[in-house]
Amino acid sequence: MTIKPWRLPATLAVAAVLCGALPALAQTPIKIGASLSLTGTYAKLGSYQKEGYELCAEDLNKKGGLLGRKVEFAVYDDQSTPATGVRLYEKLITEDKVDAVMGPYSSPITEAVANVTEKYKKVMVSPLAATTSIFKKGRKYIFMVISPAEVYLEGLIDTAAKRGLKTVAIINEDTLFTKSAAIGTAELARKQGMQVVFQEAYPKGHTDFSALLTKIKAVNPDVIAAATYFDDAVAITRQMKELNVNPKMLGVTVGGDLPEFYDLLKQNAEYIYGATQWEGALPYPGQREFLEGYKRKFNREPVYHSASGYAGCLIYAEGVKRAGTLDADKVREQLLKLEIKTAFGEYKVDQDGFQTAHKMVILQWQDGKKVTVWPDELASGKARFPTPAWNQR
Amino acid sequence: MRRLGLAALAALAVVALALYPLEGTGYGVRVMLQLFMWIALAQSWNLISGLTGYVSFGHVAFYGMGAYSTAIVIVRLGWPWLPAALLGGAMAMVLALVIGWPCLRLKGPYFAIAMLGLNEVLRVAASYFEGLTGGGLGLSLPTLHASVPIYYAMGLTAAGVTLLTYVILTSRFGLRLMTIREDEVAAEAMGIDTHRYKLYAFLLSAVAPGIVGGLSARDQGYIEPISVFPLLMTITMIVMVLFGGKGTIWGPVLGAVLLFTFQELVWARFIYLHQLLFGAIIVTVVLLMPRGILGVLQQKYNLPRTI
Amino acid sequence: MNPFITPVMLGQVIISGLLAGSLYAMVALGLGLIFGVMRVLNIAHGPLLMLGAYVTFWLFSTVGLNPYLSLLVSMPLLYLLGMLLQRFLVRRVVDAPELSSLLLTFGVSIALVNVAQLAFTSDLRAVEYLTGSFVLGPFAFSKSRVIACAIAIAITVSAFLFLQKTRLGKAIRAVSQSREVAQVCGINVGRIHMIAFGLASALAAAGGSLVAVMVAIQPEMGQVYTFKSFLVIVLGGAGNYPGALLGGLLLGLIEQVSSLFLTTQVNEAVAYILLVLVLLVRPTGLLGGRAS
Repeated sequence: MTIKPWRLPATLAVAAVLCGALPALAQTPIKIGASLSLTGTYAKLGSYQKEGYELCAEDLNKKGGLLGRKVEFAVYDDQSTPATGVRLYEKLITEDKVDAVMGPYSSPITEAVANVTEKYKKVMVSPLAATTSIFKKGRKYIFMVISPAEVYLEGLIDTAAKRGLKTVAIINEDTLFTKSAAIGTAELARKQGMQVVFQEAYPKGHTDFSALLTKIKAVNPDVIAAATYFDDAVAITRQMKELNVNPKMLGVTVGGDLPEFYDLLKQNAEYIYGATQWEGALPYPGQREFLEGYKRKFNREPVYHSASGYAGCLIYAEGVKRAGTLDADKVREQLLKLEIKTAFGEYKVDQDGFQTAHKMVILQWQDGKKVTVWPDELASGKARFPTPAWNQR
Repeated sequence: MRRLGLAALAALAVVALALYPLEGTGYGVRVMLQLFMWIALAQSWNLISGLTGYVSFGHVAFYGMGAYSTAIVIVRLGWPWLPAALLGGAMAMVLALVIGWPCLRLKGPYFAIAMLGLNEVLRVAASYFEGLTGGGLGLSLPTLHASVPIYYAMGLTAAGVTLLTYVILTSRFGLRLMTIREDEVAAEAMGIDTHRYKLYAFLLSAVAPGIVGGLSARDQGYIEPISVFPLLMTITMIVMVLFGGKGTIWGPVLGAVLLFTFQELVWARFIYLHQLLFGAIIVTVVLLMPRGILGVLQQKYNLPRTI
Repeated sequence: MNPFITPVMLGQVIISGLLAGSLYAMVALGLGLIFGVMRVLNIAHGPLLMLGAYVTFWLFSTVGLNPYLSLLVSMPLLYLLGMLLQRFLVRRVVDAPELSSLLLTFGVSIALVNVAQLAFTSDLRAVEYLTGSFVLGPFAFSKSRVIACAIAIAITVSAFLFLQKTRLGKAIRAVSQSREVAQVCGINVGRIHMIAFGLASALAAAGGSLVAVMVAIQPEMGQVYTFKSFLVIVLGGAGNYPGALLGGLLLGLIEQVSSLFLTTQVNEAVAYILLVLVLLVRPTGLLGGRAS
């Protein structure tokens, strides 16, 4: 095949126009790798995080990409197991040779894969790892975005103490994140002068809480703080109604913030406090853009896992922009110095990459809607208190 | 002549595997390391269940025991990883003695249920004794980048347990075990102390899972109760053995290589279907070739029993 | 940090235990039936229960059918599915060593879970029909659990009567006592196996439909019932059908009482330790079953 002479200049001209119009497309894209839990126990939450990453890449590309290059995500499924996650990060870094990585979903998996990313000196912003110990092992390249597990229920305890409530019962699923949350909550309660009258863990996947709740009923605490994922939060609430356990306040960690919580429990979700890292109604910069973008792309309201994934990716991009390079040590330097407010709220880390500025919020279900009730400066309404009997909700 | 050719081929494979970490990527080394782990696990399960017919339906308990023993002495006592993993193997053997001595008297499905139960009990124990194990917080090992030495350790364990299988299969001990599998009452009538031999086989089958459990714990750097006692892992070892051919020497190796490769290459592309695919593989193997690939070849070409 | 345990607390957990136990008994009776008749441990029993729960959820959310009436749909549907499973898959491993049936039913079990994930996603579902409880003095009786208990007992008793009194029931018991003798007596063993598997699946489906009102529904909810059923049939004595009732109630009590006196974490382990002890001391179960 021969090239007709008149074609060559034409082709070149078209190419030149394309290059001029879309500089971001001219170079090879920046490939960001991550493994997320798309199947298995954490499937749902991991998929939310993935949506956050995707939306972030789209937004970055709309604004001309990063360092003039397009941004692309390469996402694998770790089946919610740390061993698979470890293997996949090795693959992303050594075989696929991605330019950067972002964190996986859940604390146990982050704890395991952080060893890989540290080995290859890759900066890893971990938008959904909330366990303090991950960041306090002398690791250099890992960055935290959300508030740590230990302070999830700070607002619940704070509000309770201000109301003069004295006793709290703490229960948790016996896994890394929830257990850390329970330990932190107990500490906060003691600091506020409250008495922890009952504390017990239950295994993952537990569905019958009758004996546990019978014991709690006997000690009759003012507050029940439950460090939960989602299904256990639903089961505990239902069975509290059945056994007529009615504390003055009931707060859960994860699950209480999801719209499905109300769908499943209907009016029984009323008055219950949920902890969340983020709410769509909070007045953060870029919030509207994120909400609109998300709704357009995925056709529903986002939850905080998506928002955090989105923000974590933007934070990494900001670090790269300021460093002017993808070089890990330079990006790390910038991320350690960075103070920024995104759609997800504040970001600032200490020398270990441990988050110090981001704020948790506490919400309460009121008439089928989530109302932010703590902290005061972000509150959108007043908490309804005291909690009436179960059959009057 | 044919023997010589096979030996040369085997030597070549060993050399290639030994040199692999020099060339392979981090990912390649990790994949091979996990393949070795599966070979060791499948081969171990074959030792007790392939040879005696007693279905150890909770064999992952030994893996978990090894993982926890190793992690505990590394974290709490600062042991180096190699002796720690060997201790993991020893602890798994102790566990096998404690539970095997009473439970190997149980027959058929009852032994399977008991083993399943013991695995659950161990998982709960790992959550409960949190002073030692960290409970639900898990155990986080100090950072150490030792994938390459662990690769060799895993490889040696897999080779060791394969060699052990060869030695057993070609010995009187192995014959006695297979007699038990074919007809335990007859074996007893022949004067074989069946309980003692079953126990020996059980003890031997626990060592390698204990060691590789310890090595994986070291390699991953973090363990928690739910990640080291999964039933699915027991099932995977069983399917590997069955696929390759149970009661043979190379069957478990073949099964592990094929299934693991399949998993690595194919399942990643069908993430929402991989359980269905795995289920279909299991059903197919059980229904169409219960003797496994080597079993079929053995029958067809009249191959020696010690293949 | 246990509170002082009062008689009222003990009474409450005994109530909870018995309510849960009656359901375990019914579900385990299905597993025991299959085990008794063909010596197969059906790992897919729990996932069949899960399918029953989804049938109820689906009928409730689409046409608003009363969840308790949906038993009339879920039981026949799963009866059919059970017959098909037996006819095309399990039949081939009935005479094989137990490994084959364990693996085969495990394969079916993960496939069923995956199918449910594809069909219904992994999202939690709930049948929000009956919440709250009847209060009697200091005790609370969860409404959904009391009704589930009553229905479970009714179904379990009918199943016993069916096995004791009807021709077909007698044939099933004959096959579980000795297949050869039954065959000689002119019983079509293959047909009995299919009916037994169908009945067992229907019992699992009934369990699923009742559980659907009590807890959230998701594809992986079933497995735990397989294990509980193993415990029940071993405690009660495999092949001993009334033993399943005793075993079920016992398991419910052990779980609750051990959670009360110890912690919630250990209740599974307590049940399994007891299982191993029972196996070692009385391999035929507490009430005595068929020795192998």
